[in-house]
This record gives sequence, C-alpha cells and structure tokens, in this order.
Amino acid sequence: MPVSDKPPAILREVTPTPSVKGGRGQYRPAPEQQSLLLAPAEQVHPPPLRASPVQRLWLCIYLPALALEAVSDVAEAFAVFEDKQGIRKILLVNAKAAAAGIGPGLSVNAALALLPTLGFAERNPQRETQVSRELAGWAEKFTSCVCIEAPSLLLLEIAGSLQLFGGLKALRQRITLSLESQGFSAAIAIAPTPLAASWLARAGRKVCIRDPQNLAGKLAPLPLSCLNWPDSVCASLSGMGVTSVGDCLRLPRAGFAKRFGASRLLQLDRALDRLPDPRASYRTPERFAAEYELDAAQSDSTLLLNACQELLVRLERFLLTRQMAVQHVQFSFFHLRAPATHLALGCVQADRAVQHWYDLLAIKFERLDLPEPVIAMQLCADQGQPFSAKTSILPFTGQVTQQQNTSLTQLAERLGAYIGAESVHGVMTVAEHRPQYAWCSRSAVADVPRCASVPGYQGADYSQLIEMQRNNSLILRRPLWMLREPELLTNRQNLPFYQGTLTLLDGPERLETGWWDDDGIARDYFVARNTKGVHLWVYQNRSREDGAWYLHGIFG
Amino acid sequence: MNDALEKLLQNPRLWRGQAAAGSLNKPGWQGLASGYPKLDQHLPGGGWPQHALTEILLEYYGTGELQLLMPALARLSQPEDDTQARWIAWIAPPFEPYPPALLQWGVNLSRVLIVRPRKPAEALWAAEQALSSGNCAAVLLWSDAFNDTTASRRLQLAAEKGQSWAIAFRSLSVLSQSSAAALRVQLKVGEKGTDLGILKSRGGRPAVVQDYAGL
Repeated sequence: MPVSDKPPAILREVTPTPSVKGGRGQYRPAPEQQSLLLAPAEQVHPPPLRASPVQRLWLCIYLPALALEAVSDVAEAFAVFEDKQGIRKILLVNAKAAAAGIGPGLSVNAALALLPTLGFAERNPQRETQVSRELAGWAEKFTSCVCIEAPSLLLLEIAGSLQLFGGLKALRQRITLSLESQGFSAAIAIAPTPLAASWLARAGRKVCIRDPQNLAGKLAPLPLSCLNWPDSVCASLSGMGVTSVGDCLRLPRAGFAKRFGASRLLQLDRALDRLPDPRASYRTPERFAAEYELDAAQSDSTLLLNACQELLVRLERFLLTRQMAVQHVQFSFFHLRAPATHLALGCVQADRAVQHWYDLLAIKFERLDLPEPVIAMQLCADQGQPFSAKTSILPFTGQVTQQQNTSLTQLAERLGAYIGAESVHGVMTVAEHRPQYAWCSRSAVADVPRCASVPGYQGADYSQLIEMQRNNSLILRRPLWMLREPELLTNRQNLPFYQGTLTLLDGPERLETGWWDDDGIARDYFVARNTKGVHLWVYQNRSREDGAWYLHGIFG
Repeated sequence: MNDALEKLLQNPRLWRGQAAAGSLNKPGWQGLASGYPKLDQHLPGGGWPQHALTEILLEYYGTGELQLLMPALARLSQPEDDTQARWIAWIAPPFEPYPPALLQWGVNLSRVLIVRPRKPAEALWAAEQALSSGNCAAVLLWSDAFNDTTASRRLQLAAEKGQSWAIAFRSLSVLSQSSAAALRVQLKVGEKGTDLGILKSRGGRPAVVQDYAGL
C-alpha cells in the first residue's frame, strides 16, 4: 500500500477518525477550510466538523481575581501573596492597593514600604476550591449541567435553559448581575464547545458564538496564554513564531502532535467541535439539616437530649433511604439572648445508627456549658458517604456476643471523646537501636490489623522466657516500664543510688548509634537491682568523663 | 435431722462459699492460666479469675507486677480467630509501657490501647467504660482515685458485664480496706525471688506462694 494513503500509526491514534459514520469521502474537509487550517501535510486529515444532532451552548464564567475574592471582602487596600521558595510575592491586589502603586510580582516588604496599612493574606487554594463549589451549587439554578474546570473556571451548558430564562441576553445579564452582587468580578464567554468558551473567557473576550462554523475564525486571534498550556510549550511555540491559536491551527498536524503531544492536538480539535468533548457535571452533595423547636425555653438536659434523639432518628431515616452514612454532625442550640452554642461530633467510621451518635452526644453534652435555656436546636450533618454494612451472624447460630456487634474502634472513639483523642492511642515498635526511638504511638482508631499479620510469638515458650528473666540474661532483654526522660541518679562511691545503692547484675550492653542525626547516643546499659529488689535499667554515657548514671527503665 | 438440713439448704438466704466455686477440686469456672505453674496450683480454677476484678497490692511500681501478668496478657492478646479480638487497655500507667519488651513477652501490640486520662476521676470512668463495653479482654488500671469499696464494686460489676478481666494496681495502704475483688494478691520481693501473698480469693483460700516464678 502506498504510504500516502495510510497515515502513520501514531496519527491514527491522535486523530481518531470516526469510522462508524459513512464512507471515506466524508472525512475530507472542505477545500477552503483545508487551506485555512492545514498547510502542507495532505495525508493527515483533520476530523470533519460534525453535524451534531444536539446543539450545545457553553457559558464560561472565569474569575480572574478568585484568589483575592476568596479570602477577603474588605474595601481597604488588600493583597494576596504567594510563598515561592521563601520569598513572599504579591499575586493579586484590590483596586485600592493598585491605586497606591502596588502590583503583582512585588515583594511583600516592598509593598508594605509603599503602603503600611496594606492588609495581607496568603493564597488559600482550599478556600478557592470551596468557593468554586459554592458557586457551582449556585449555578445549578440556571442549568442541570455545571462543570468545575478549575477553581476559577466554571462551565454551564445553557442550550436547554434559553427558553426558560427569556433568551441568551437575559440569561447572560442575570448571571453577570448575580455574580457582581456576590462580589465576584467575572469574564463571561459563550461558545458551542466548552474549551472554546473557556479560552475566550480567559482571554477576556466577551463574545457569544452560537454557530460552530464561526469557531475557527473567532479563536484564531487568541493568544497562546489563554490556553493554559505549560510555559515550556508556549515558549517553544512562540520561539517558532507561533503566537496565536490560529498559528497553531496552521501548523502541520503530524508534526504538531509529535512535538507538543497528542493531547494538545486533541484539545484543538475539541475546541473547534471536530471531536466530542464529554463533560461530567457537578452535583452538589446532599446534606441533612433539621430543626427542632421547643415549646418553651428549656434547660433540662434530659428533655434536650430527648429532642436531640428525635433529630438523630430523622437523620437515620434520611440516611437509610439513601444507603448513606455520615462522619460528622453538628448540633446547634439556640438561645433567646445569647449566641448559639455549637456541639460538633465526629466518628472515625461513618455511621448512621441513632444509638452510636446518641452515645457520643451524651458524653459530650455532659460537659457542655449552656449559657441560657434553649429555645430551638438544629442538627446538620456533613456530606454522606456510601454506607458499608457489616454482615451479622444469624441469631440461631449462637455465640452472638455483644462485642462482635460493636467494633473495637468505637470504644477508643468513645474514650477519646471524653478524655481527648490524643490521650487514647495504641503502640507499635520501630526498627531502631536507640531505646527511646524503638517505639511510637499509633492511632487507636485506625484499622486494627488482623492477628495473623502481626509477627507474633504464637508459640512463645513462657517457661523459657521466665527462666531468662530469672537469670537476668541480657539476650533480648528490655524493661517493661520505660521512663519518658532518663532520670539522673545520685552517685555514691561510683555506684548509682536509687532507693538504696544499686548492685549491677548484668552488662554492659553498649549502644552506640544514631550519630547520623543530632541525637546520637553512646551508652553502656546495665541491669541493676536496688535494695528493695526492684530491677532497673541504668546507663552511663561513654562520652562524658563524670561517670553520671541515668535510670532509663524498670523491669516491672 | 437430715430433713432440717435439707430445709436449711433450700433457703435462698443461706450463702454457701463453695456454691460459687462448685467443689474445691472442680471449681465452677476455668481460670486463665497465669503461665506460672506454681501459682496456678494455688488459684481456684487453675488460673486468674476471668470476668472479674483482681487487685494487686504493691509497695512500689516496678516490683515485678507486670512480669506476673505478662504470660496471661500475651495469651489474651492472641485469640484463635479475629472475631474475638479485643483490646488490652492500660489506663493511666505510671511509666511508659515499652513495646519492644511487650513484644518479647509475646503480646500482640495491635491490641494494646493506652489511655492517659487528665484527671484521676476520668481514669475510673474510662476503666468502667472499657470493662463494660465488652471490647476489652483485660483492663489494667493504675489510679489514686480508686480508694473506696464502691469503686471496686463498680469495677467488679463492669467486668462481669463486659466479660473482661479487670486488674487494679493499688498501694499497700488499702490493705485493711474491704474490696469486692474476686482476687487480691500482694507482691513482696524476698531473698529468693518474688513472693506472692493471696489475701483474698473467691472460691479459694488465702496462701503465700513463695517464689511464684520458680519451679
């Protein structure tokens, strides 16, 4: 087969020619278009403009100042900075700060020299994501299909909404005004493909394209910067004299895909509506919120707890129908003349059982200090997660004990809720010679490993261990009690003293390690016994001349 | 006369010491083997009383009280199948329990739960919760707040409810106090090994086991 008839394999991948529809002649673009978009490589054909059965229209909302608007709404001079390798540089400023001569790229110190009253905040990407989710939730009232392309870029598919909102102009105006009233400065562009709309919005072109045929012409003058491609790609393109989208389209497709990646070519095709660009639409997660109003102001804890239980029952019903469970809930108690008291509850494994939440609530409620009688209360739950139920044992198989139903972590959780989560923990060993680093605490609420996975001493021979203990053998011998910090012992006639002079029974065991970090040790450990018969683990520092003794452990 | 005796025995108000233990040779419960054969001989049921409170009285912490318990705790931490996995809770320990040493004794570290309450009263609360939840195979408690009979009775009841083994470490000063514990022992370091005095033993008799770890 001659080469010219068959495109190279790599190109077949990057320009997926739709083979389902029609014959070969259909794929050839119209001659005038070919001259516009394609220069020499005749053998590589771009996919044709599709006659899409459903006309789509994408409205893109671009929020160029989101980083600023997400963290502040003050009218005073304000700036957002970014920490780049220790240098704090200004990213965005509001109008007042700009009037004082402060602009992006300035260092924070320089900006403060210009305007000492300037307010500051560091850029907060989490907050930006949160704001964009809130905006997406708001945008759901205009269309059922909202996508978050990036935190500062929202896409709304509005073809189906035009009639309801009274036409394109009215809808667009409504969105613009609403965004303004929420304090966002936005650039809005409308195009038949999502990528084209977002490029136009990023470039700040307030255009509205309804016909896909016009896309190529309108996109051609856009600068490369609005494509959001990596800097290195843009730099090498502009080095070739390619500075706009139109220039890109004029490049030979094969070479373009080879040099800059197949995905870039795919993006260009998708922007021009030559290839479909499916998008997943954003859905605001469902949340539970319920209120309970009391007939009269109440401060009786039993009554309040009963009302809370009622709310929890409603929560369970809500979650049951959706096969969901939640991890965090918050109770709010409202008072007549005082701000509301909030009580947040959380558990490790998402749960929906009333009893579980009620137990946690009862523990925390006991310590809650309500400033005033309560007139109403509210229960809000966080986003639900799919509920994974445990298989329970059939009642007639017997041996159904209570502990099988409640998981181990629930006890740790309950203790943690009362005492403080940091005071309840498990332990694990660490492969380390320094005694103080040979263990660490682990979360008690994490998944409990199975017995089989633990390197066990399943067949530990206790008589042997006991014998070892009696002989004070140092093989594998470590004290059961450790002191948090080694204790300096008094020295009497060169022997350590702790509730009586110590007799050294065994040792030394020399531990000289850890020189590679700052906490190296060089110690001689001994097993000693005091006059009361208590066995102790003591050591002397080798590096020090004073011969001081330290107590590090008790054999218990 | 036999009739009169039978009648008396039918009376529910009459408490018979051996009823709890069955007969002396064959008690009503199976004890948890302590790992020390000499000690097991002196304990009713051939081991530590399960699902009950054991009190260990000491002069100082560190006089061998952990070694006494280690073989039994190690066995409890490694049940035959995972569905019976339960915690071994250490509530308010006076020092740091050292995991490498626990591992040497054969304790499954993933079952060890350390609880450090901020107030003495919280230690008792935590112990009661842990015991009655049924999620703990054993609960070890060091608490100064544990100083009256009420507390011991509550712990004993919680241990029965949750089918756990409660172990309380107390100072020798409470020797004269009464206690609801099923077993009360005193540790004393002697010339030849550690002696263990059994002060009270439900279904058993007080005794002194000299050098309990010996053969």
